[in-house]
Amino acid sequence: MRVFVASVGLTKIGDHWNKSLVDLAVEAGRKALSSKIEPDYLIIGNMFSSLAASQEHLGALVADSLGLKGKPAFKVEAACASGATAFHTAYNLVKSGASESVLVIGVEKMRDLEPEYVSQALAMAESAEYTQFVGASFAALNGLLARLYMHETGTTRDELSSIPVIDHKNAVSAWHAQFRKEITPEVVSRSSIVADPLRLFDCAPVGDGAAAALVVSERLVSEASKFVEVLSSSVCTNNFSIYERDDMLSFSSTREAFEKAISTASVPKGKISFAEIHDAFSVTGAISLEAMGFSKKGFACKDAAEGKYSLNGELPINTFGGLKARGHPVGATGIYQIAEAYLQLTEQAGENQVKGARYGVTQNMGGIDTTTVVHVLGSAE
Amino acid sequence: MMAIQYWRNKDRYYRLIGVSCTRCGRDFFPPVYRCRKCGSEELKDKEMPKEGKIVTFTRLYETLPGFETQAPLNLAIVELKNGVKVLGQVVDTPEELLKIGAHVRAVFRRIRVDGESGQILYGYKFVVEHVDARRETG
Repeated sequence: MRVFVASVGLTKIGDHWNKSLVDLAVEAGRKALSSKIEPDYLIIGNMFSSLAASQEHLGALVADSLGLKGKPAFKVEAACASGATAFHTAYNLVKSGASESVLVIGVEKMRDLEPEYVSQALAMAESAEYTQFVGASFAALNGLLARLYMHETGTTRDELSSIPVIDHKNAVSAWHAQFRKEITPEVVSRSSIVADPLRLFDCAPVGDGAAAALVVSERLVSEASKFVEVLSSSVCTNNFSIYERDDMLSFSSTREAFEKAISTASVPKGKISFAEIHDAFSVTGAISLEAMGFSKKGFACKDAAEGKYSLNGELPINTFGGLKARGHPVGATGIYQIAEAYLQLTEQAGENQVKGARYGVTQNMGGIDTTTVVHVLGSAE
Repeated sequence: MMAIQYWRNKDRYYRLIGVSCTRCGRDFFPPVYRCRKCGSEELKDKEMPKEGKIVTFTRLYETLPGFETQAPLNLAIVELKNGVKVLGQVVDTPEELLKIGAHVRAVFRRIRVDGESGQILYGYKFVVEHVDARRETG
């Protein structure tokens, strides 16, 4: 059965001091429910509401808040890939015929936590007993990866900054983005050190946000005013920690999920109009582009610096700012990517519109390529 | 980490006890349930070699709760002599010796003091022994 996205809803990402986790989920959910289509299922993508809001059991809580009492509702968690795995679950429910209309909401409240507890919450994506135990945060692992990547590929500091530079440029005209200001490579290289060689502007910011998408069957999609088709949804996993992998720079789960996704969708790589990639850190964005075969190994940052991935380039990436500038409310990010692909493919992207966008790819990772989810979406024919 | 989680792993933390596949001989640290090389589930505990080389390193300025007093923290992924890669802190080492390819040795050190229980957690860290002149990079 074919699967469609009938509508989406977003909140701005940032410091929502006066809004709770549920406030944000309801705000995004209501926007996605503005069509006539009633959901018969609710799935929440979220990573650490237990730590950040002392709250679990989000399915029933948000269902009740949205007036969906009685409907099946639950949370899906896969660290920073929680949003896309929630969407993957919805896709499979509709594809199998088990449901005709699933509301998916990705939500994360990060700013209520003190900074060191945000680090602790994010580190839960990694091994408690062998990564957190020795004092390594998630940023530390990415710092280790970045040094190895630069050492092995000869990528320079300024080249590494090229993906954050693209993100910030694209976010200027994105109303929902957390940081809407252009930057230069110098801004990145002069920002404070987080985990050497990674600096503050290599790293996605901490923010609150929620995004929603209504996933529907072919029968119901005729009731939607604008819609896109979900052509494939692919999830792959890797050895859990980077230090347990023979090749730390290969991102095999991104490669496998991407190859499977474009093959299932029957969309050749050259026909992809844009890609929303998971650049929680500049280095993971670069290696992701290489794992998907858009750049040769070691050349992603050079290609980005030369304009290949800019909004008017050969393959625009992160068309509303990506994780670095649109923001990365972790469990919501995968749904922000889906919603942005929807806006592109329905020609509602405004100044950020990729001209003639036909197929979009989204790549959402939990951990460092530990769980990777790739979706291929296509505009309505 | 809860006290009992730490206690369960104390041999692994104190002496780098990983596992070795009884069929193909591949070693693993952290321990695995199934050999990643041959698929065997017959694995037995084995103490890892204590010498290795730095594959990559970082200096972490924003530490996790419980490590604030140790900031900035030097961390490295070390490849031990049996090919196993281990993540750990690098201590007692001048900054100029912290390099990719530097020879290290695992040592027994205090990891941190648990804030709530006051329990002192011990485990492995690494010390740089020397750097090959030819391999000076990073």
